[in-house]
Amino acid sequence: MKQELAEQIIDLNKELIRHPSATFMGRVAGDSMIEEGVQEGDVLIIDRSLTPRNGDKVICFYEGEFIMRTLELQDDYGWLHAANPKYKPIRLGAESPCQIWGVVSYIIKNVRAR
Amino acid sequence: MYALVDCNNFFVSCERVFRPDLEGKAVVVLSNNDGCVVARSNEAKALGIKMGTPSFQLKHFYEKGTLIPFSGNHQLYSNLSTRIMSILAEDCDNLEIYSIDEAFFSLDRIPPEQRISHCRKLRDKIRQWVGIPVSIGIAPSKTLAKSAAHFAKSFKGYRGVCAIDTEEKRRKALSLLPIGEIWGIGRKMVVRVEEKGIHTALDYAERRRDWIFSEWNLPGLQIWEELNGHPAKFRNKDDKRKSICHSRSFAKTISEFESLAGRISDFASSCAADLRSEGTVAHRVSTFIRTNRFREDLPQDEASTEIILPVAANSSQQITTAALQGLRIIFKNGMEYKKAGVVVSDIISMEDNTQLIFDPEEENQREKEDRLSELMDLKLGDLRLARQNKKDNSTRHEHRSPNYTTCLEDIIKVY
Repeated sequence: MKQELAEQIIDLNKELIRHPSATFMGRVAGDSMIEEGVQEGDVLIIDRSLTPRNGDKVICFYEGEFIMRTLELQDDYGWLHAANPKYKPIRLGAESPCQIWGVVSYIIKNVRAR
Repeated sequence: MYALVDCNNFFVSCERVFRPDLEGKAVVVLSNNDGCVVARSNEAKALGIKMGTPSFQLKHFYEKGTLIPFSGNHQLYSNLSTRIMSILAEDCDNLEIYSIDEAFFSLDRIPPEQRISHCRKLRDKIRQWVGIPVSIGIAPSKTLAKSAAHFAKSFKGYRGVCAIDTEEKRRKALSLLPIGEIWGIGRKMVVRVEEKGIHTALDYAERRRDWIFSEWNLPGLQIWEELNGHPAKFRNKDDKRKSICHSRSFAKTISEFESLAGRISDFASSCAADLRSEGTVAHRVSTFIRTNRFREDLPQDEASTEIILPVAANSSQQITTAALQGLRIIFKNGMEYKKAGVVVSDIISMEDNTQLIFDPEEENQREKEDRLSELMDLKLGDLRLARQNKKDNSTRHEHRSPNYTTCLEDIIKVY
């Protein structure tokens, strides 16, 4: 019965993870994207198979930690913007120490009191 | 034409996926109990650290911070390996998984002029999707493909892909390869071969066929054939033996992994029982699954994988573990599977099983690999289950990384 039910309900693994070989998860720590409602504890689904596009939420490795920012693409470089004035934009380019690690495809949030 | 995909310093590369700050730094991965070194980054190799060095001898490096140690994180490595093998299973023909970080596939359907670019694309895809750098060797035989991968790894100019696909390149490559670097030639055999004035792989390949056979019998001849670009059938001394297959078309299609895994386990156990009843062991375990071809309205899928066991086996546990590992690689969500099965092949009698691939009494590459895998508990299709029972809680893993891919508590933190 349990199994039959599991087959009938929507399979979130299938819906949210299009490329299982390329998908990793991350957990939000800190407040860098707070103005877009991304809070500490939210779970990020990161799909490394996606090519970053303008406006994507991307994961980068910067100064020893993973960060999430909004990508602004210009001609031959890009900017990473936080959604919190406390954090300065970071310039992305060939000579930049910061590289894009993956693209966030979904954010999962527990909306009940934690 | 064969290709061999070989992951560069695989265990170290796995750690670096989640620690990009370790790129360019000297890193080692330690065996169970943090005993000795089982993987090294290029920078650690440059420090002169050898495979198997006991960890305590490296304390001074750790203290200075010039070398970063990791306790082996089997779950992580096996997860990333499965991801790589799934990508290969999707994009390549006749995938044969040789170990946790190596797989052969066939390039026969790729036009010759596109082979290198096909392999470069694969390499870039694995690097982007999983984060692991790989080298790919292309050649008309597996032994040559392995040598080609070795060149691809050693010289940056190849950009990760090296083909030994012309007579000129074959001779050049073999002349640069010391005989001890050849797959299947062990340390003791090297001494004997060198006594005959053979120092490079080319020296060996240029000897007369009947002389090779009289000196080293079939195993030596197989290496000779392979080096001369003729693929040898490995381990098939006993050609009359068949493979054993257990499979079934299901009355009701199966789309759930667990249910399909249950059926695959049954088929694998039946294969193992057949092997035991005839006193044989199998070296290869394939798993195949397919959807209903006649239901054109449904998404179609047909896939198989082959896992090569480090040592031929006939226990239910080993055959089942390998079959399920294969299933994990090929299974896709959202498919209605109609038929599935398990095939065991490369069957030999139990007495022959003490022989290693080429060089029975000698310490050859394969034996070394097997010992390594015992240390790491890690080769695909290994006796992982059996060993788990023995595990006690006192094992040391001071430098264990989090289970980034298999435990929600351990996923990366994003600031």
